[in-house]
Amino acid sequence: MPDVIEPDAIEITDINHLNHQRFENWSFSQDFCVTCGLCSSTCPVSGIDNFDPRKFVRMISLGLEEQLVESRWPWICTMCAKCEKVCPMGIEIASLIRGVRSLRDREKVPGILHKGLAAAIKTGNNLGLPQDDFVFIIEDVAEEIAEEPGFEGFTAPIDKKGANLLTTIHNKLVNTHTEDLKHWWRIFHAAKEDWTVPSENWEGTNWGLFTGDDKAMKIMVGRIVENMEKLEIKTLLWPE
Amino acid sequence: MQNFNTVTVFDLLIQYIKEGRIKLDKTKYADVLATYHDPCNYGRKAQKLFGYGYFEEPRWILSQCTDNWTDLYPHSINQLCCGGGGGTLTTGYNDERILYGGRKMDQIKITGAQMIVVPCHSCHGQLNNIKTEYEMEHLEVKYLWELVADCLIL
Ligand code: SF4
Ligand code: SF4
Repeated sequence: MPDVIEPDAIEITDINHLNHQRFENWSFSQDFCVTCGLCSSTCPVSGIDNFDPRKFVRMISLGLEEQLVESRWPWICTMCAKCEKVCPMGIEIASLIRGVRSLRDREKVPGILHKGLAAAIKTGNNLGLPQDDFVFIIEDVAEEIAEEPGFEGFTAPIDKKGANLLTTIHNKLVNTHTEDLKHWWRIFHAAKEDWTVPSENWEGTNWGLFTGDDKAMKIMVGRIVENMEKLEIKTLLWPE
Repeated sequence: MQNFNTVTVFDLLIQYIKEGRIKLDKTKYADVLATYHDPCNYGRKAQKLFGYGYFEEPRWILSQCTDNWTDLYPHSINQLCCGGGGGTLTTGYNDERILYGGRKMDQIKITGAQMIVVPCHSCHGQLNNIKTEYEMEHLEVKYLWELVADCLIL
């Protein structure tokens, strides 16, 4: 008869101590892998830093996800889903990658990804740009357009209630790339669009997509919906 | 429940063009060979998540701006990622990201294109950032809507 733990020695685990959020982004498809290697053959970063998607899927299947969470692998993969496209078993490799990203301690998320997201949750945009500064930049760029031939009288309507179309803004366009704000605005002008930009919560990026943070994603999306309803806009353009 | 409509960048541009609200000058870039990069999220991933990938729409818009363009190989659902997706532009792992983009740059080089058109901020940032690494500093990286704005007849 095998050794059995003495009844007195065993303790009941309080199920409330388990981390129920731990696998909330998990697709649970790793165990179907037939180790064919098609994913690794097609992945553009296979071999970099010894990463390849087959290894990744197998390690999850073998219960080694802790090692993956600590590694750089999930962050050098772009979640492009090329591997998924060729996988004969339909394994959701990009979702697994995102799932592993979500398990990383938030303070250890590489680069500015989590910091930008945290700033966005706190201030409404990744840069923490105050409302006044944002409005100043928008008006300044609009004045530049108004000086171009064919764009006389151009303005960028901010918080226009009842406008037909609201557009979100990528933070880099009010930071280092203000010239790139102008393309859509020129098109709106030519098409005689009734459009607007919100002065708050205009951020179009949603970095929770990258860090595996569904809760933060929902908050960001919710704010855009709020803007749409508050300003009674008919159409949302979200070019990010 | 939802009181408003959402449009993609493609739908909106197609609407403006089809309704005649904007007119485009096809001669503007007639001497520049262009090519198009399919972003993973508008194409392959949208196909999987929503059952519809935007492959035809951007090409139709491109065709309203110029006749002088060619596709990369492979493209559409089988395209290669630019290497800047998934937040990799901001993780700080730059060597890996630049290496990743090498295959995209090879694809572009083979076509001989002088301009790569993209409808995505991440792809645009990545391609612009790595082109010098691959001795392609003359490659013009253009947003699809930038191309449309450039071709506007006012
Ligand atoms: S999703 Fe990641 S692992 Fe799969 S092909 Fe793309 S980069 Fe490679
Ligand atoms: S393609 Fe799919 S089945 Fe084949 S090794 Fe990769 S994950 Fe496993």
